[in-house]
Amino acid sequence: MITRTVTITNSAGLHTRPAATLVKTAARFQSEFTILKDEFEINGKSIIGVMTLAAEQGSSLELRFDGPDEQDAAAAVVDLFERGFDEE
Amino acid sequence: MKIEKAKEQRKKQITVGFLYETGKSRFKLRSLTDEVGFENKITDKNLHRPGLALAGYVDLFRYDRVQVIGNTESKYLKSLSPDRRMHAMARLFEFKIPCIMMTDNNTLDDRIIAAAAEKQIPVFSTSYETTKFQYFLADFLDDQFAPQIVVHGSLVDVYGVGVLIVGRSGIGKSEIALDLVERGHRLVADDVVMVTRKGEGILIGAGTDLVKHFMEIRGLGLIDVRSMFGIRAIRYQKRVEVIVELEEWKSIRDYTRTGLDDQVIKVLDVEIPMVRLPIFPGKNVTVITEVISLNYLLKHYGYDAAKEFAKRLEGVIGQKTKGNRAIEYFEHDFE
Repeated sequence: MITRTVTITNSAGLHTRPAATLVKTAARFQSEFTILKDEFEINGKSIIGVMTLAAEQGSSLELRFDGPDEQDAAAAVVDLFERGFDEE
Repeated sequence: MKIEKAKEQRKKQITVGFLYETGKSRFKLRSLTDEVGFENKITDKNLHRPGLALAGYVDLFRYDRVQVIGNTESKYLKSLSPDRRMHAMARLFEFKIPCIMMTDNNTLDDRIIAAAAEKQIPVFSTSYETTKFQYFLADFLDDQFAPQIVVHGSLVDVYGVGVLIVGRSGIGKSEIALDLVERGHRLVADDVVMVTRKGEGILIGAGTDLVKHFMEIRGLGLIDVRSMFGIRAIRYQKRVEVIVELEEWKSIRDYTRTGLDDQVIKVLDVEIPMVRLPIFPGKNVTVITEVISLNYLLKHYGYDAAKEFAKRLEGVIGQKTKGNRAIEYFEHDFE
């Protein structure tokens, strides 16, 4: 299992569109993907779950990847966060 | 995310102000010390009756708990002279008490209240009698400090039985939940289910405030079950009674064939019956889920089909009339 910590940079936060991008990206990989925020732990492949976090700009998320392709999954997902989901 | 691995969480503390704001009408509370000490922390779900501490014995005094001064303590205090009463209470105020609750509308002398306020100890009065008040407050605190997990699954009330469907992402939990709703069952939560332990052996599941009865159906997107199917299709909370785990059919897996070997899973230290259900295309999981509920109900009412069949078989073994037709002689109507 690998763990990464990311911060949300885009101003609108993790709203519907980035949430959809995130789960679509995560779903390409076999590894289990979990997001932790404020003691809240959800499945990162579930759009409802990701939106439940209602993560705002500046909030920090812990990402956990567990499975055969965890390295690739982590790289792809962290890249999304680093690019701010290509938003302002 | 495996349900056994889900991270348990619980509130570490609540403030006295929160307790007062949430509970003032429910527990008929009124504050005798205004908003003094509202930021005091309550960290224990248990209550304490400070009878012995009032009498002067403060070893093992659980000062960190909510202190309930019931009728006994109040009567005792009234039997003292005003100065000794002040002295007895002042001894309590030396400790970092979160708050004091006076039952049965009892109060304290003004100077004692003032002394409490000075030490930042809020004093409340309730019109409830002690036993009833303790019951209400203990239940409230038990709920506030209850352990909780977030489960990735769907919780549906099927014939009154709370069925929690779990399984890997994309296996079709939401689709089965939707199918169940269409057949007249009630959705509690989809995708994000907050499971809380109530008392010692009960799990209650609910959705989150934000999501309520929205669900995602792959290929369709988000739908709102409440506006689509109406009020009959939803409920806010339900006891979790059976867990159904969906998984792809694995021929090596040893699926139960008789149902005699009941499986359970421990969630928040509560044992819940679990059914591991292999799925493959064309299999009607919705109907099987209904059958799981009905079977649970039958067992609950004392009828276990697997055991009943085993008993019947034992009765027949050794008898001569094995393998006979159920009906000995077919008469004329062919029913």
